[in-house]
Amino acid sequence: MKKIVALLLALALVVSMAACSATEVEETQPQTQAPAQTEAAAGTEAAETADAPVEISLWTYPIGKWTDEATIQSLLADFNAVYPNITVKVEYLDYTNGDDKVNTAIEGGQAPDIVMEGPERLVANWGAKGLMVDLSDIVPEGTYESVIASCTGTDGAVYELPVCMITHGMAINRDVFEAAGALQYLNEETLTWNSVEDFFKAVQAVYDAGHEYVGAIYCGGQGGDQGTRALITNIGGGTYANAEHTAYTYASQENAEGLAKLYAQDGIVFDTAIVAADAIQNFVNGTFQMSFCWNINDELNNADALGFDVLPMAFPSDTTPSLQMGIWGFGVFDNGDEAKIEAAKTFIQFMSQDDAQYTKTVEATNFTPVRDLPGFETVNPLITEYSALDPMQGDYYQVTLGWTQARTEWWNMLQRVNSSDGSAEAILAEMQTAQDASNAAAAG
Amino acid sequence: MVKNQVSYNNRQRRLVMQENIAAYLFLLPFLFFFVGFVLYPMFMCVYTSFFDATMGREDIFIGLDNYITLFQDEVFWIALKNTLLIVVVSVPITCAFSMWVASIISKMSVAATSAFRCIFYLPVVTGSVAVTMVWKWMFNNYYGIFNYLGKDVLGILDKPINWLGDERYALGCIILILLTTSVGQPIVLYVSALDNVDKSLVEAAEVDGATSMQAFWKIKWPQMMPTTLYILVITTINSFQCFALIQLLTSGGPNNSTMTIMYYIYYNAFKLYKYGYGNAMGVILAIIIAILSAIQFKAGQEK
Repeated sequence: MKKIVALLLALALVVSMAACSATEVEETQPQTQAPAQTEAAAGTEAAETADAPVEISLWTYPIGKWTDEATIQSLLADFNAVYPNITVKVEYLDYTNGDDKVNTAIEGGQAPDIVMEGPERLVANWGAKGLMVDLSDIVPEGTYESVIASCTGTDGAVYELPVCMITHGMAINRDVFEAAGALQYLNEETLTWNSVEDFFKAVQAVYDAGHEYVGAIYCGGQGGDQGTRALITNIGGGTYANAEHTAYTYASQENAEGLAKLYAQDGIVFDTAIVAADAIQNFVNGTFQMSFCWNINDELNNADALGFDVLPMAFPSDTTPSLQMGIWGFGVFDNGDEAKIEAAKTFIQFMSQDDAQYTKTVEATNFTPVRDLPGFETVNPLITEYSALDPMQGDYYQVTLGWTQARTEWWNMLQRVNSSDGSAEAILAEMQTAQDASNAAAAG
Repeated sequence: MVKNQVSYNNRQRRLVMQENIAAYLFLLPFLFFFVGFVLYPMFMCVYTSFFDATMGREDIFIGLDNYITLFQDEVFWIALKNTLLIVVVSVPITCAFSMWVASIISKMSVAATSAFRCIFYLPVVTGSVAVTMVWKWMFNNYYGIFNYLGKDVLGILDKPINWLGDERYALGCIILILLTTSVGQPIVLYVSALDNVDKSLVEAAEVDGATSMQAFWKIKWPQMMPTTLYILVITTINSFQCFALIQLLTSGGPNNSTMTIMYYIYYNAFKLYKYGYGNAMGVILAIIIAILSAIQFKAGQEK
């Protein structure tokens, strides 16, 4: 009996190992054969395999409703009506653990075929590491002129097929500002502050009207740090990174003085325990009277909870404000399987090239299209109001090398500033420390 | 006769060998996973710690550079100090509190004992994200219950305290949350350990005039020693590996005041992709945990 059981166990083990090996062989075959195919043979085989079943994976970060199951299934149904042979398996990511999941998958050789995110990850991170497919061949010339440079790596390869964009701004509780007589300090048509000085006067007026927390410099983590970066560099008038996106430049006297003014201002609190999502929540529930992180998506997501009139605003500046832009789109991982890469390209082309389908694709993001799309403004009436911020879009410096570490250095710097005496000298020293570490990361 | 003896010995040896082979074959599936998922990753952790390993390129052998950098890294020392502080504070409190609660509820009726066991075990089975979010709300600077009680109800606070955003309080808050999620299992273990104490010995001691405290220290405590040792070891390891709380609440801030080694490993390995450096920290952490566990076992055995 023992012999039989032992034999069976050994047999099971051997069979399972053999099965694993067999699977591996099957899966790796297309990779090893692909380079050997001649172009002529490829043409014939492409026709034969065009309808061959292919399964690809799409991992998407929470970009509007792109993590909403019903929305995505509807988009996939459109796709499968035309390409029934391509099965798309979707995995939804969040910004807390999404990077870990993707990176773990990359390390395990199981990277997804398509990822929907922005250039800071697709271009500056995975693209720069040689993990992504160059999409130049499917980018129609002249179509994405305003954003394509941000989707292109330093090697000239396009690592992101852009889908949508947004201008990140700030927002104020218009009702409170009106009651405090602070609307005189801003222009409601252009969504700009009259000047930096007027911004501080407005904050003081709201504070004097009895609102202890007018706004918060949140720095409990990196979430939504585009808001604090834009706020400080606009108030100070300095830059964040150089034009070549090779080095960080925010440790300047101007930026330090701008931050020192914020530090000293009544009603502006430094909160080292919250991130942008918390600050937005505190704005929505009326605890804060302004949010330094806001875009159209925040208004749409919180429409039911907002009990006041929200006024989106540009960041205060004595010149033309330079606002942060968000661009999202598709990137394709080079997993070595030509059939999957082709299927992935087919999918992202389908989602972004035909106007009717592209409208649905962008509508699902809650953001605005990155190319001409006639009639899209009627899809979302808020777009007209928020589009006043678009002409103020600044440099897309999120593709500067060492971006991941630079983000951490930024919020850690703000935490240290909170513990400092708030003088411009102390702030500049902290900025310099953070900038040096960021530049060291950028240098590799 | 001799021939028969030799034949018998050979048969016996063959049988023993067959039994051994069968035993090893039964163990093989487990050994397969143990080697694949425990030993191999451990070996790779140590091995990679000697490399500059990151994503997208071949690893570069750098010898002890990661360890040298590590010992010169200011944040690592802060993380180590914070981690040791968490261990030193939370382990004795967890053990003492668990034993105290267990000794009280074990004297209650069966229904009450079960009810209290459930209550204290609840945070263990509740998802750590949910528990952490509730604590985050309670510690909220603007509308958290602690500030509401301290300022508006009791009047002992002049202004709200940013519990998780203030270097003076943040680590204390983390330890407090860790305690609430750590005591459940020790309480359950201590209750059953107390149930298993030989009642006749306690009764005999009481007849001989021993006080309840003497009965506890002289009779119950020695019998609970294996349980205490187990609790000490698992609580120490759990405290060393405190990660989710930090990630969900403070990201190691403010100013690294809640940075722990586990979070710093995660940050370096998964945010900055410094796998070699992260693994070097993992090796150091494993060595520290191993030394402390060995000391605890030694001390426990001597007792």
